Amino acid sequence: MGSLEHANWFMRVLFFALSAVIVASVLLAQRGRAMFIRRIPGLTAIEEAVGRATEMGKPIFFSPGIDGIGITTLQALAILSYIVRLAAARMTRVLVALRDSTVLPIAEETVREAYDAAGRPEDYRPDDVRFVSDEQFAYALGSVGMMAREHTATHFLFGGFYAEALILTENGRALGALQVAGCPDPVQIPFFIATCDYVVIGDEYFAASAYLTREPTLTGSLVGQDIGKAVLVALIVAGIVMATVLGGGTPIVATLLGKGG
Amino acid sequence: MLTSWLGPQQATTPLVYHILLALLASGVLLYLLHRYLGPRGRRGLIVVATFLFGLFFGLEYFLPVRTKTLWPTGLPNVGGSAGNLLTPGIEPMSNILAVIGAFTVGLGVYSLVQVHGRNVLRRRAGWYNSFAFFLSFFAMFSFGLWQYSLHLPEPIPPTLTLTQRIANDGYEILFQGLYAPLQAATFSLLAFYIASAAYRAFRIRSAEAALMMVAAFIVMLGQVPIGAWLTRGIPNEGAIALLRLENLGEWVMRSLNSPAQRGIALGVAIGALAMSLRVWLSLERGTFFAEQK
Repeated sequence: MGSLEHANWFMRVLFFALSAVIVASVLLAQRGRAMFIRRIPGLTAIEEAVGRATEMGKPIFFSPGIDGIGITTLQALAILSYIVRLAAARMTRVLVALRDSTVLPIAEETVREAYDAAGRPEDYRPDDVRFVSDEQFAYALGSVGMMAREHTATHFLFGGFYAEALILTENGRALGALQVAGCPDPVQIPFFIATCDYVVIGDEYFAASAYLTREPTLTGSLVGQDIGKAVLVALIVAGIVMATVLGGGTPIVATLLGKGG
Repeated sequence: MLTSWLGPQQATTPLVYHILLALLASGVLLYLLHRYLGPRGRRGLIVVATFLFGLFFGLEYFLPVRTKTLWPTGLPNVGGSAGNLLTPGIEPMSNILAVIGAFTVGLGVYSLVQVHGRNVLRRRAGWYNSFAFFLSFFAMFSFGLWQYSLHLPEPIPPTLTLTQRIANDGYEILFQGLYAPLQAATFSLLAFYIASAAYRAFRIRSAEAALMMVAAFIVMLGQVPIGAWLTRGIPNEGAIALLRLENLGEWVMRSLNSPAQRGIALGVAIGALAMSLRVWLSLERGTFFAEQK
């Protein structure tokens, strides 16, 4: 049984400092402090992509990736909720293909609540949220089958993707769909850039719910994570200077890089 | 009490009774929760469970390593001396999560049967594909269960009874003869998809695309013998050695590609931390978290 590795004192300090920065930003935003978020083209394109499907009178396809329940998938479901609200208001169907059965009940609830929130609970169809297969390539082919049979006009792929990503997006492209993808894994991003119309890159993925909803709590969290990034960059520069001047084997440098305990 | 619940079960009662009792208790609990908890109650339960599970795993990671544990003796000493007082609880907690996950497999099968069953019953367009799903599902399920129930030794002995032979061969044909080649065939399609995607990506339409094309050209040539052959005239010593294609390709990967990848990974890690905090503290907007007013 692999117990988790444990944090050393530096990681504890860093984690609590970063968490404090994020929570402080959230509190400031909740008290009305205006926060600026730069434009993210991939997320701005969501509305245009939903509109395209509505104009063509065809459904939308959404995949939350092939990961199980985790931070990446939860973020994908938050984006799904936004997309379904937009689509429901315009009477456009959203087909959701799932690989992990643990995600199924949460995705069903997300879609149902989004239809409720859009004031169209009667438009919710249980068949539109489908568990396809828990096998990676069977899932990819099943999803491509859904795209082809239902003549989907827009494809959203947000979540954890691996080798199946190209099967989904290349076929989606061949079908003439407008494709918007987002994945936190840097390895998959080039494949999406090559095959999709808009791509949400790296940490933009985790900015999605804040960007789309502009709710103060989420916006504050986003600004907090940007401050945290600046802190980390400063620490990296400090580490480079220390390792260069003092040497990598110096006790302070070795301690910071050392094992948990 | 805790030990008898979470620790290894003694063989005094058959396992099947434990399973049936657990299923019955789970069914009753789920019914009661569904019956008496409204949307607010359910949301509250999720908020509390998320916070407590998150707190447990977080504390287990951050607490200093100690040999003393909070858990009664009799539980497996997970982590041993490398753990802290919460480490032995990781395995029971993980088991709870695995059991909850196992329940959802049934939901997945139910979803498949529901969608494809409607297609067949209502003779929708392409209903025969759904019928093929039922055929393959029941064939794989039956032969898999049958072969497993025979507890055949590995490797399979040449002398099997007719029943054993049918069960084993049926499973082998379905799994090794059909399923595995289909998986491999799908995977091999990726080569063609990569080629077509690369063709589009490398078309020079802008300065950035031209830069990417040049970088890709250098890296690809650096990986193959012809690259080294093309620049064999450049000495392999001194600063000029960097101009040899195999060295230039490696430099692009190590000094340009890796820092960019790490920069993205850094942003993703901070983003994941912020998202984790939002989920843990139920600040995230979404299905199970109240919306901000």
